[in-house]
Amino acid sequence: MTNRTTDADEPLGDPRATLALLEKQQRQVLNAQQTPVIWMYLIWGITWLVGFLALWSGDADGNPWFTIPGYVATPIFIVMLVASIVASAVLGIRINRGVRGASVFSGAVYGLSWTACGTAFAVLGTGLISQGLSPELANLYFPAAYALMCGTIYLGGAALWRDISQLVLGLVLLAVGSASAFAGSPGNDLVLALGVGGAFLIAAGTLQVRRRVGK
Amino acid sequence: MDELDPVIHASARLKITATLATLPVGDQIAFPRLQELLGMTPGNLSTHLRKLEDAGYVDVVKSHQGRTPATYLALSRSGRRAFEDYLEALRALLGETS
Repeated sequence: MTNRTTDADEPLGDPRATLALLEKQQRQVLNAQQTPVIWMYLIWGITWLVGFLALWSGDADGNPWFTIPGYVATPIFIVMLVASIVASAVLGIRINRGVRGASVFSGAVYGLSWTACGTAFAVLGTGLISQGLSPELANLYFPAAYALMCGTIYLGGAALWRDISQLVLGLVLLAVGSASAFAGSPGNDLVLALGVGGAFLIAAGTLQVRRRVGK
Repeated sequence: MDELDPVIHASARLKITATLATLPVGDQIAFPRLQELLGMTPGNLSTHLRKLEDAGYVDVVKSHQGRTPATYLALSRSGRRAFEDYLEALRALLGETS
């Protein structure tokens, strides 16, 4: 039996206003959880787009309009990549801060999967190079491997949190990542810049628009 | 017509239960984080949490992180059911069927 109390000093409006207040509060909580995700999509969208456009423009056979010296293009890519990894780690910790319990394990495994898979693909690539993989093919392997890694982990995230944005993003990344090799090098850099970078930016924009209209 | 549960039917406690209901079953939220999500003062939040705890709607778990005391909160099973009933009653008043 519950002990019921009333508060005359906290009047609530009619049922419609009460339901609106309840839904607004729940939306605010979900928005607070979603803000770091939107930032992550935005950051990675810019990194894939600008980073791979820089690499594409750093190759003599790449960008037909202008060429960036390799000693500029590669550092741009590396600095953006490292900055995005650091930003993701910081934002990832913030998503579920202050919460403990059953979902913490899922979140920790999801977070760990990025590091574990990232390392595994790097080791595999290094092994392939040690076995004679040419620099041209390595240029095809590494970016495609990481696009596939992101796509696969996003599918896992979609399953864990029933998140449609991760499902769509994961499928697009798998499609773009696997198709990129057919463009050859450095054409694959352009495919990944537009395909993966574009997908991340569209995902960020879509989530932002949805939260603005309150869906 | 269903009566609206007076424990929940007060703006502060409605917001608290609505927020706690977004947590998956089995999760708990730290007091400062809940306070941040609600934009309430610690004193006000404590007062309303006590009422919800007295009604058996909220489980309060006090623990320590190192030497710092930490309070974690979650809807109890009856609190989650009461919130669902409240939501259903509210929708029924509006003529909505869920």
